[in-house]
Amino acid sequence: MRIVEAYIGEYASGKSEVAVNRAVFLAREKRKITIVDLDLVEPCYTLRRLKKLLNEQGIEVIAWETEELLGLGETGALLHPSMRWALQKSGDIILDIGYGVYGAKVLNLLEGAASDPDLRIYAVINLGRSMTSTKEEVLEYLRTLGRVDGLINNSHLGEQTSKNFLEQASEIMEEVSEIVAIPIIATTVTEEMAAYLSKSYTHPIWPLQRYMHNSFW
Amino acid sequence: MSENLMSIQPSMPKCWNIATKPHKFCPGCGHGIVLKCLGEAIDELGIQERVVFGCDIGCSLLAWDFFACDTIQTHHGRTTPVMTGVKRAVPDRIVIAYMGDGGGYAIGSQHLFNSATRNEKITAILVNNTNYGMTGGQMAPTTLPGQKTETCPYGRDLENDGYPTKGPEAVAAITPEGAYIARGTVAKPRDLKKYIKKALETQLNGTGFSFVEALSGCPTNWRTNAADTWNMIEKKMTEFYEPKELKVPGKEG
Amino acid sequence: MAEKPITGEKKAFMTGNEVVAWAALCAGVDIMYGYPITPQNEIMHYWTRLVPKHGRKFMQTEDEISAGFTTLGGVMAGKKAFTATAGPGNVLMQESMTMAEMMRIPSVVVVQQRGGPSTATVIYAQQEVTMTTLGGNGEGFRVVYSTANHQELFDYTIKSFNTAWKYRFPTFILGDGYQAKMRDSVVMYDPEERGIQMVPTEPFVGKPGCPGQDRAPTHLRNTYNIEEELEEVVLQYLADYKKMAPEIVEYETFATEEDCDILLVSHGIVSRAALAAVKTLREQGMKVGYFRPITLRPFPVKELQKEASKVGKILVAESALGQFNRLVKEALYGMDKAPQIVELFRPGVGITDEEIMKKTKEVL
Repeated sequence: MRIVEAYIGEYASGKSEVAVNRAVFLAREKRKITIVDLDLVEPCYTLRRLKKLLNEQGIEVIAWETEELLGLGETGALLHPSMRWALQKSGDIILDIGYGVYGAKVLNLLEGAASDPDLRIYAVINLGRSMTSTKEEVLEYLRTLGRVDGLINNSHLGEQTSKNFLEQASEIMEEVSEIVAIPIIATTVTEEMAAYLSKSYTHPIWPLQRYMHNSFW
Repeated sequence: MSENLMSIQPSMPKCWNIATKPHKFCPGCGHGIVLKCLGEAIDELGIQERVVFGCDIGCSLLAWDFFACDTIQTHHGRTTPVMTGVKRAVPDRIVIAYMGDGGGYAIGSQHLFNSATRNEKITAILVNNTNYGMTGGQMAPTTLPGQKTETCPYGRDLENDGYPTKGPEAVAAITPEGAYIARGTVAKPRDLKKYIKKALETQLNGTGFSFVEALSGCPTNWRTNAADTWNMIEKKMTEFYEPKELKVPGKEG
Repeated sequence: MAEKPITGEKKAFMTGNEVVAWAALCAGVDIMYGYPITPQNEIMHYWTRLVPKHGRKFMQTEDEISAGFTTLGGVMAGKKAFTATAGPGNVLMQESMTMAEMMRIPSVVVVQQRGGPSTATVIYAQQEVTMTTLGGNGEGFRVVYSTANHQELFDYTIKSFNTAWKYRFPTFILGDGYQAKMRDSVVMYDPEERGIQMVPTEPFVGKPGCPGQDRAPTHLRNTYNIEEELEEVVLQYLADYKKMAPEIVEYETFATEEDCDILLVSHGIVSRAALAAVKTLREQGMKVGYFRPITLRPFPVKELQKEASKVGKILVAESALGQFNRLVKEALYGMDKAPQIVELFRPGVGITDEEIMKKTKEVL
């Protein structure tokens, strides 16, 4: 069964980190996998810088080369033609969708997104972000996104992440999930955070390795 | 005999710089169409050698190595004055100031309106796609009422954000006889090319300021598929911005 | 009276630009004026999303000249107002900021430095030091805070409004594109709950009463007729500035109480690398000290001279070609024995602690 997943979410919610980790995981399962960089609003942490690293893991990356865009004076919120046709590639596809006032509508830019039967749109939520820090805020935010098939609980506070925070976050996410009737696909945890997990979760835990801090500009 | 399809090149204006093709504009971007119309006009008028092409900051910046013509990438909004400076110093040059909504109607507006009212013998071409594309989709002077952008996330509110700018109408009102002002659209490239050619002829004849606004699409920042993109360009934008010639030298208003 | 946006403390994971927007909110800012330019756009993106929830205002102007002048208008009307910009936009703001200097208008501008000169890069530099501290056709009557991390962006954005309104000099937060976009955790708080007295604003124009009847009309100007008149005004401002300076100068030192062979001097985000370098080098047994001005204007002159008098060499590290160094040299002038200056200049490029350590070892 083909896996096509689009990761959307608020600015700095962790979409790219989750998307990259998911691609790495699928590559390790020996699946043919392509990851597509669809960050179109002032991209600064982008897949461009991780291309070589990801290629080495057997993951194809559709993204601009940094050198192709540098020297143009502005960041380049440009769509590469191959991004438009990404869904036509065989194998699995992970789409890293940047932030923006239009939410998941970026998918309009991909040929076939509207009719792709395998496409799943996952909203990455970090309750440590100030605009999505309470149940009400998360619900309000989800309403702006359009179609969402699953939630990813990527809650953390960077170095300040505490056990208390993680537990509260997961409680809130479970409440949200029930209210909007959208399942939590996974809770993501870094190695440091794993030590804080005490409760048992009813949904998968995805271990997260940090890649994106090497991807700045 | 089978031909390698990659060896068949799409037809391109002669004044285009082949080395930088395919260009970097997004799929579905209107700039490609406008620059093709401009390229064909330059070829038909035989002025490639005389052209000095100026581009602004924003997506027009991507045109800096687009033509096989001498080009200056300027500061945001300053393409008009730089081209005016060139023309005043060496009138034999055919100068083209190429810019977007911000470069012409926001930060560049004082220059555009002053060059217009002085009837500078330059040609300004402005691509109107209702947003600031390159920086990620902020509100532009041409953003439509109710349209959402990153700096009007709840939709352009006429009360707080003001009315969209009708540039060609304003420029037509303040330019004297001899100027050529038009608004075209990438939805009608033949007309657009005709307007651009007439604008350049106005400069060649030395009668006055020439200005063409081109209604254009930005599916990337509008987040629209092909059908919705054309709907925006052909229907929604034309409700506000009427494609037509607004001023033609020698013809009464 | 509108509700406070934050009660108690709120920990969040944010980018620097967002921190600025939230700090302005917590400081009670009424209105932001701005024009898009990378890398500060998210300050506006977030402010416009917060505006309807908290009853504040936003105006997108036609350019940065307007953004600067509309901000002055808002401030003179008695509201807490600010704007944000970078690079070429900062260049355009110099005109309005000279008006602020001349008329003692408490404006606040957040600058997220990008490469220069001209359009250069949208990413990062420390190349707007000269312009932000001494720009325009003035005499540098400005307050400039150079922040190094997100918590400082929060703390000093709030502080800048108090500094501006108390002392009436245009005040700047000098950040950079890296701080603007990097993600980190920050503790946000309501300043008054932390005992920070928020300085109230007051209108320059539109005070109560009818002008000419209940009160004298307010006539504000920035032009003068004769040379001596101007000199008098400028010298008075200088006196005010000198009086204020000791109250607001801020700086940081590390390991300077111990013996030092060399002092590492830097500001902003580069100082994080410098501090890490000093800590490591000390562990390796080298005698290195750290000095970081937090206010570039007014510069901590006597504080730097005090530390510099104990060393034979100082290493100045900046992501520019000597803009910060120029301020350092001016500060050292007049010392009996000024130390030799070693330069580590990377215009438009970030500096790591390894680079600083390598350079230090080369010269010691």
